[in-house]
Amino acid sequence: MPTETLARQTPAGFGGYTKNITDTAKSFWEGMSVTLSYMFRKPMTTQYPDRVPFPVRDSLPARYRGFLEVDMDICTACQACERACPIAVINIDTVKGDGKNKPKLAMERFDIDIGKCMFCGLCVEPCPTGAIQHTREFEGSVMNFDNLTLRFVPDVLAPWPAYKVPKGSEAFPRRPLGEVTRNLLKKWDAPPPPFPSKDDLAKLDKADYGKPKPVGLDAAAMGRQIAARALQVKGDVPKLGRVIEEAMAGTDCGDCGYADCKGYSDAIAAGADWSAEKCAPGGAESKQMLETIIVTLKTGVLPAAPGVVANATTALGAAPLVADADVPAGPPLSQTLSKDALYKLVNDAMAGTDCGDCEYDDCEGYSKGIVYEGQLDLNRCAPGGEDTKVKLYNIMLGTKPPAA
Amino acid sequence: MQAFLDSLIRGWGHDPQTWVWTQLIYVAFMGLFSFAVINFAAVTAGIFSWAERRVAGRMQSRVGPNRAGPGGFYQWIADAVKLLTKEDLVPTEADQFLFRIAPYFMMVGFACVFVALPFSHRLVIAEMNVGVFYIIAVTALIVVGIIMSGWSSNSKWSLFGAIRSAAQIISYEIPAGMALMIPVLLSGTLSTQGIIRAQGPWPWEWYIFHDPASFAAFFIYFISALAEGNRTPFDLPEAESELVSGYNTEYSGMRFSYFFLVEWGNMWVMSALATTMFLGGWQVPFLPVTDAADKIAMLSGGWTVLAELASIAIFTFKTLFFVFIVMWLRWTLPRIRVDQMMNMCWKYLVPVSFAAVLFVAGWMLVIHAVPALDWIMRIVLTAGGAITLVMFWLRTLQNIKDTGDKFDFTSNW
Repeated sequence: MPTETLARQTPAGFGGYTKNITDTAKSFWEGMSVTLSYMFRKPMTTQYPDRVPFPVRDSLPARYRGFLEVDMDICTACQACERACPIAVINIDTVKGDGKNKPKLAMERFDIDIGKCMFCGLCVEPCPTGAIQHTREFEGSVMNFDNLTLRFVPDVLAPWPAYKVPKGSEAFPRRPLGEVTRNLLKKWDAPPPPFPSKDDLAKLDKADYGKPKPVGLDAAAMGRQIAARALQVKGDVPKLGRVIEEAMAGTDCGDCGYADCKGYSDAIAAGADWSAEKCAPGGAESKQMLETIIVTLKTGVLPAAPGVVANATTALGAAPLVADADVPAGPPLSQTLSKDALYKLVNDAMAGTDCGDCEYDDCEGYSKGIVYEGQLDLNRCAPGGEDTKVKLYNIMLGTKPPAA
Repeated sequence: MQAFLDSLIRGWGHDPQTWVWTQLIYVAFMGLFSFAVINFAAVTAGIFSWAERRVAGRMQSRVGPNRAGPGGFYQWIADAVKLLTKEDLVPTEADQFLFRIAPYFMMVGFACVFVALPFSHRLVIAEMNVGVFYIIAVTALIVVGIIMSGWSSNSKWSLFGAIRSAAQIISYEIPAGMALMIPVLLSGTLSTQGIIRAQGPWPWEWYIFHDPASFAAFFIYFISALAEGNRTPFDLPEAESELVSGYNTEYSGMRFSYFFLVEWGNMWVMSALATTMFLGGWQVPFLPVTDAADKIAMLSGGWTVLAELASIAIFTFKTLFFVFIVMWLRWTLPRIRVDQMMNMCWKYLVPVSFAAVLFVAGWMLVIHAVPALDWIMRIVLTAGGAITLVMFWLRTLQNIKDTGDKFDFTSNW
């Protein structure tokens, strides 16, 4: 009961009555002066982001794990980071040259998808030169999620030469941390170009206006590529369906008479449908690709390419095009060539990053080990991956590498 | 008001007495002026809503709304636009007619007060000889609106809130009325302008420092006005933790905004009334206006306008100071319980206000016999008030110092 608590707290009678009044006045005096004192202090709030005395990233600890950054000037293209990444956020495509007109090893692509990155730092640890680092950048709000894929090689057509580590060097000068990533994020999230004005539209060629633009898709090459993969999984109908689906436009429009693209491709995979022209949004390109695939599946042989595919992987970065027919018969090269010629061949097969994963000093050391010192382990070239392994087994043993 | 208009017309070089349609012009001007005053009330309420949030932020070591416009000043416009464009929802089980009309009762009760509230020496809509009585009477209309909204909402929260509000307002009408009786006793008039004219421009001429009883009466009035305006610590009708939002729970959009317009507009009303009754209103120093001699009217030409503006500024400053105190109280005190609220009214404010009225009546007899006592008492009380203010300010600075902080009013706005 409130009256009881009141009676307990205050003495009875007129003294209690006046004490209540003076207590009220006192508590007003104290309470009001406390709140007023806060009126004349600086609020604790930090008015992030636009009213801070200095950028917030500068107040973060030095070892903060922000967005990743690669200094391409000291990247050896060893791909150790790509292999270390547990969720395949980093993608590196290397290309080899003769060392004269083109650099011996270059990178066509070095992409890091910051949108997927979980900032574990496992890629930073194996880097031999410290090229890949966490920055203190963390403000990555962009207009388009795709813009969070940082492309450290600016142009695919101008591959970035890999850094060749000078013998015995221990320190690698690096650009100021964060500069590259900050610029990439800013540049790529630039606002889209303005809508063309009426004058601009009038200047456009009327004949071309409104027609679909060439998309730069090589339907013949892509068809061959998908067909080759389809051949590999021929017996497995669900897997085959998924491979064939890549030839569809992917709009799930239902024009083909099936519920979605998957339905159509599953029908082809199951052998229930042999028509290649049903994909309306894909148009001529889908038709061409599907024809290649269907012919390949029916005959069991990949149709001959118009040109020679020199590299084992295509520019589209898909699975290697290795069919049984490509492996030459006869004794392995290791038994027919001289040791020196063999060494040259083996050394060429290496990735050439000198990463040291093979436990030799560099690629030449591993090649010497295989040719002259009887090293039997052919699986050690991590950056070269499947490609190098196939070549090494082919040269040394004349066989395909054993399945993992 | 009529005198004000007459002087305006004379200022343009005409004599209103010679015009045929003078009465019609008066009526048109009254309509115009009422429209302006209602808008004044709405706009001040809006600005107070922004100011309250800034004050609250500052007192809680936050910033408050500061993004829309300079210092976030346009925030209240944005809020008003949002509230006006929201869906006007009426619950199915509500009494449709009463539910829709209740906010207007509150608006009317609130707007009518402005008729008798002075703004300056001449700026008052109607100089009534029953001004104070009229203000107390029309304020009661707000209770009708609250009860209507609570009853017609057909919601228990709303009804509880309305009943609490009615109990509170009716209870606190008594101490508020008794406290207001003291300036009336001292000045011998119910007219708001008359009460201001009976005071002077200097603090020792104000009724708050007239004698100990009127000093107490000022605080009794202020506390009662807080309770009547449903302001913290007397915001029981809107107690969020118990009643969701009280009598306005079921309202939305524009009708909801009316309730808040009245609540914030009431801050001006209660502060302006306190200024009028106890703090000398618009009296300009060195230009005292009494019933016997009007020094502002004796000025000539541009000086009249200047003095008039000065009286508006002084009145506004005093009023805004009390508005700030109301906000300051809100962010200092927690809400009290219903039984505490009733205790405070019936056990403390009512008896003390009665005693104060009796004391003032006696005191008037005393100073009539010994006029020197009047001046001694006024000077002593004014000095005491000044010392109290200085000590309070020092206490506040000490509070800042005690926590190792420093005085900083200008940064991080």
